[in-house]
Amino acid sequence: MYGGGNTFEGIKTDSVALEDPIKLAEFEARIARGEKIEPTDWMPALYRKQLIRMIEQHAHSEIIGALPEGTWITRAPGFKRKLSLMAKVQDEVGHGQLLYSAAETLGKSREEMIQDLISGKSKYSNIFNYPAFTWADSCFISWLVDAGAIVNQLANAKGSYGPYCRALDRICAEESFHLKYGHHCVIYLAAGTQKQRDMFQEALNRWWPPMMHFFGPSDKISVHTEVLMKWKVKMGSNDDMRNQFLDMYVPKIWELGFTIPDPNLKKNTETGRWEYTEPDWEEFKRVINGDGPCNKERLEVRRIAEERGRWVREALKSAKSKYVTPLA
Amino acid sequence: MKSLDPRVNRLPVIGQPGQILPKAPLDQFGTFEVFVQPKEGKPFQHEGIVHAPNLEMAFVLAKEAFTRRFTCVSLYVTDTRNVYVSPMTDGTVNAYEFVNEIPTQSGDKTSYEIYHLLKRGKQHQHVGTVQAVTPQEAMSEARKIFKNDKVVYNIWAIRTSDIRFTNPEEKELWLTLPEKKFRDASDYKGGDKLKEFLEKAK
Repeated sequence: MYGGGNTFEGIKTDSVALEDPIKLAEFEARIARGEKIEPTDWMPALYRKQLIRMIEQHAHSEIIGALPEGTWITRAPGFKRKLSLMAKVQDEVGHGQLLYSAAETLGKSREEMIQDLISGKSKYSNIFNYPAFTWADSCFISWLVDAGAIVNQLANAKGSYGPYCRALDRICAEESFHLKYGHHCVIYLAAGTQKQRDMFQEALNRWWPPMMHFFGPSDKISVHTEVLMKWKVKMGSNDDMRNQFLDMYVPKIWELGFTIPDPNLKKNTETGRWEYTEPDWEEFKRVINGDGPCNKERLEVRRIAEERGRWVREALKSAKSKYVTPLA
Repeated sequence: MKSLDPRVNRLPVIGQPGQILPKAPLDQFGTFEVFVQPKEGKPFQHEGIVHAPNLEMAFVLAKEAFTRRFTCVSLYVTDTRNVYVSPMTDGTVNAYEFVNEIPTQSGDKTSYEIYHLLKRGKQHQHVGTVQAVTPQEAMSEARKIFKNDKVVYNIWAIRTSDIRFTNPEEKELWLTLPEKKFRDASDYKGGDKLKEFLEKAK
């Protein structure tokens, strides 16, 4: 699971012009043919930089995303739900490992990535800066935040970088249970008592605005975006991803008799696109820059985990070991 | 820290919030390449990497990272530094064209495992074993035995003794208990409950 709407670094357009034109043409032709780029291939510096950034953000999101859901492991309703939730959270952390490895093939070490996460230099999906107050919040995350992540991940799995695509194929296959589990939880709340229904409705009211933020602001059509699309780093606009999510899941939410807290939400039958109240992008910016309800806690948990593990890692470290970039 | 998560509330206070000592190189250990055999009789294929302090721990962590869901019949790992790699081709030439045939070397021969990459974007697959003194000779031997009309994009050679294999008695690691179905999407059948709910709502 992770958030879309990656924040790409602003770059000067002439940075591509400085690349060797012959190599660049071969690189672009390879992508146009639908072939994957592998770690040992020549690639433009900008491609490498943006991919590291994107895969690293994705990896951090998996690790941090395990925290809001994990809030409810100790109090999940019943043994079965507890087993499922633990298995899901384990999966998310495993996905983080796969993604760190994919990013590493591009030349950024895992030490640097973890350092950048804890120091606040790297970002992760903004939605995980919100708290899970009740069991229903955890169900919302399992079903709908995962659904949003799968929309993004299925698109990105068709991207151009081999190791990232292979990691995503594995992740998407594993996540099929997450989505089914999340939906199962919500159906049981919907078909339960009035109190249970109210609990999910309240969670839905809380999580809808961050869910709309999840796919990121509308992309400005810039030379930058065009290059990333041509290189198959970015596989679709943020608005397209949001629209696809609404198409797939709004009917399923309505089917269960819940109300989505946006009076303007409706599908335009002529354009086939969803219309909605423009999300509050000022809040999005404020939270992503550190001022959200849980930013401090999320990073503190990671920092303490790293600190507590330090002596173990030092004890296990072998003097003979030497770092080399992994192969694929 | 005051959190909604009781586990977070139990965390001890260590160091200064927001501050972390710079990570030393290899704080996260070196990398090991992981190969998985999906079914009996199928070749082993490369799956990815794990970070581990040693070969034995790499084996354990690889089992956790790569075979948690899709069960397999066998798995092995080797230090990334032990993989001898040929140049990568663009598909117009066979990678074996970059491998020099060298005369048989003198010395004790050991066995090497050989892997081919047959398509970009796919994984390296095990093709067989050769006997050689050095990795260069192993590549040269592989060229004699495994080169054919099919274009190979990339070749790997690993000395067999550098690999941590699955022992026969460890194979039960992947026997999933029949009652542990909670990791399968098929265990979450909400359809009947949903139908019942929709009927009632009418």
